[in-house]
Amino acid sequence: MTDWTKIPIKGILLDITGVLYESGGQAIDGSIDAVARLMKSKIPVRFCTNETSCTRKALVEKLHRFGFSMEEKDVFPPIPAMSSILKQRKLRPFTILKPEAMADMSEIDCSNPNCVVIGDATTEFSYETLNKAFQLLVSLDMPLLFSLGRGKYYNENGKLALDVGCYMKALEYACDIQAEIVGKPSRSFFNAALEDMSVSADQVVMIGDDVVNDVGGAQSCGMRGVLVRTGKYRFQDENHPEVKPDGIVDNLAQAVDMILKAL
Amino acid sequence: MSRKKKTVLIDLSGTIHIENDEVPGSIDALKMLRTCTVNVRFVTNTTKESKQILFERLTKIGFEIDFDEIFSSLTAAVNRIKKSNLRPYLLVDDKAIADFEGFPVADPNCVVVGLAPEKLSFECMNKAFDLLINGAQLIAIHKAKYYKRTDGLALGPGPFVTALEYASGVSAHIVGKPSSDFFLSAIKDYDCQPADCYMIGDDVWGDIEGAASLGMMTFVVKTGKYLDGDEFKIQSKTRVVDRFSDAVAEIIKDISLF
Repeated sequence: MTDWTKIPIKGILLDITGVLYESGGQAIDGSIDAVARLMKSKIPVRFCTNETSCTRKALVEKLHRFGFSMEEKDVFPPIPAMSSILKQRKLRPFTILKPEAMADMSEIDCSNPNCVVIGDATTEFSYETLNKAFQLLVSLDMPLLFSLGRGKYYNENGKLALDVGCYMKALEYACDIQAEIVGKPSRSFFNAALEDMSVSADQVVMIGDDVVNDVGGAQSCGMRGVLVRTGKYRFQDENHPEVKPDGIVDNLAQAVDMILKAL
Repeated sequence: MSRKKKTVLIDLSGTIHIENDEVPGSIDALKMLRTCTVNVRFVTNTTKESKQILFERLTKIGFEIDFDEIFSSLTAAVNRIKKSNLRPYLLVDDKAIADFEGFPVADPNCVVVGLAPEKLSFECMNKAFDLLINGAQLIAIHKAKYYKRTDGLALGPGPFVTALEYASGVSAHIVGKPSSDFFLSAIKDYDCQPADCYMIGDDVWGDIEGAASLGMMTFVVKTGKYLDGDEFKIQSKTRVVDRFSDAVAEIIKDISLF
């Protein structure tokens, strides 16, 4: 591993769940202070998350309760991105999402649907609901499936649960189609955050706990990808067959120490 | 040219019947087929109906068949569990549970996935996933993408198997069609090679691709789950006919040439 702080860092993307706080738990040690120190350093920071279980507003409010102090406009979750794609392409979705997240879709016409959008859900992933999505997709001349991320599983309060990626694979297999990913690791999703900072990819570091979607995804956009040993991290991730992180750190606080030292 | 007795493998649902209705002309076509000296076997990927239920339904529709001519994916699954002394966690329909009676279910070391809408819930899928990443085997009764219901197409077990495979990194053993083992077991009682066999079905992946890759001659029928252009979605070449009776007519023509 080379020193990932050697090339000047002009922008930082942070994953949220598993980097700032543990899913279903509390803020990760040192992360509140780490984010505050980054903001004070004036390096632009944006938060890139695949969280779709609630609205952006609710997510930011939760982070504020933990003690983080970012603004809502600096947080990039998939649903607002999805909404603008739907508007742009004049699409009306059948959605499998938690009701708590639907407010971010309020401007979207969901009647007489002509595409399917799936995101964070739990019991909504039932046979009957998935079958509805399937029946809609096979009835369309151009079946369109959007998946808000493509994670395999997550750990909530010590219990493993299948993530949206599994159900995306299920519908892809059933309909012989390929989903469009909105969220990490899609290039256009990362690019929206980069453009917002007006910094080129090679000057940006992405820090996350998902070796494939955060680290690998950022690297394939030309950023540096740094893996934290918190959240969904497992030691096997350090010898991942496809993704070699530019850096591996114990937690966000350690990454920020290194970034600030290199300034 | 082979003069061996030919074997004709026939899919059930969507090919000769749809639920309790005959696909028109199939009862007579089957009678015609039996006037030739051929072996007939009904190969089905059911995940929820025992052989007995299938037999009764077909007889009631008016088909003349022998109980032992039915070879189903459920039997194949039971055989596999028995052979490897497994303790199954069953995501299968209650109607099929009877076939799995007698197997130990505590501390499961395999997950069996069939088609059971009420069992393929978020909770059960998560439990299955947990077992898989702790070393359990994944057995798919079959991996069909969808099937034909009276209200249209509906998801088969395949998408749920795919979801579990993606999450866990464990590849499923498919015991039903299109696995080679399934087709070979179906013909093992007869003195014949795959090249002496015909397969007739409505599913290009389950029925046709699997049989064709073993060297069987295949017919896809445009009934049941068949969708326009399906034959172009697979690698193998297959003959395409409107319905079962047309496939039988062609087979009779073929055989009379030898």
